[in-house]
Amino acid sequence: MLLRIFLTFLKIGAFTIGGGYAMIPLIKREVCERQGWITEDEFLDGLAAAQSCPGSIAVNISIYTGYHVRGNIGMLLAVLGTIIPSTISILIIAMLFQRYAEQTLVQRAFTALRPAVVALIAVPLIQMARKSGLTLKNAWFPLVIALVVGVLNVSPVYPILLTLIYALWESRS
Amino acid sequence: MIYLNLLFTFFKIGLFSFGGGYAILAMIQQEVVLNHAWLTEAEYVQVVAISQMTPGPIAINAATFIGYQKAGIIGSLLCTLGVTLPSLLIMLTITISYLKLKKLPWFQQIFKRLKLLSVGLIAAALIMIIDHAVENWYALGIFTACFLATWKFKLNPFTMLIMAAIFGMICGTV
Repeated sequence: MLLRIFLTFLKIGAFTIGGGYAMIPLIKREVCERQGWITEDEFLDGLAAAQSCPGSIAVNISIYTGYHVRGNIGMLLAVLGTIIPSTISILIIAMLFQRYAEQTLVQRAFTALRPAVVALIAVPLIQMARKSGLTLKNAWFPLVIALVVGVLNVSPVYPILLTLIYALWESRS
Repeated sequence: MIYLNLLFTFFKIGLFSFGGGYAILAMIQQEVVLNHAWLTEAEYVQVVAISQMTPGPIAINAATFIGYQKAGIIGSLLCTLGVTLPSLLIMLTITISYLKLKKLPWFQQIFKRLKLLSVGLIAAALIMIIDHAVENWYALGIFTACFLATWKFKLNPFTMLIMAAIFGMICGTV
């Protein structure tokens, strides 16, 4: 069982390219349908929790699932499974990159990769904005954050702390 | 002490990375480029590109890569540990008590606000990176093509990046 947990998350970690949101459908298929470890409702609860916690969503959901299946040890194995493929593959790339970064071909590839990366941030921005309950009335809030952090280069730490405090203040009874 | 500094910085990044991968980018750029000057803007954009092309969460990929560049394999492990540790502590606490927590008004309110917050943070990451990544007409053309390919035609990010890399090798000028 413990080995199954580890191997399942190893597979999830190894086959998801493009980060957190790309991983969600695969994780759901593995843990709800294939393995039947948790129900779909439990998964959606976990996903909501994973999104409101700091850290990468894939790691958070593996913590949630691993813990549900087999407590602390299940959680640790799930997290290790999720991050080991990234750590190893990026280490190999980092080693190669130091050697080949100065090559003309690599440099040329990056002339197109740089703008492509911006597109990969712009698309989830639109998707997130649609799902976040954004309206004309509350649009000032993400707008102010974007300007304060993106243009004035204020550390995101301060807006995050203020948001948490503000949300607590709003919900006082 | 570079090791402690890396561990602490990535712990801080992990602790304040609400909203998943793309929202974390603003925090990483702040810390790694602006505060510590561990990477130049151009190197940072390369790290983001590589992180998106390799399997696994972007935050973990970026942490491992930057850690290796600064302090070898030990550095990469420390950064990965640092960025994961806050999730482990906080997510575990929430997992244990989620069924109770989700009924509480303050928890719901925080969740609602955090969603909007992460939209702002991703927009910030976009503003911070666009200056250094889209600097001429050639780049603007590639950006537009990639944006439409992923948004309208649902091309997956990996295929799109590989196609962009090949296009760059053929048409790019250094």
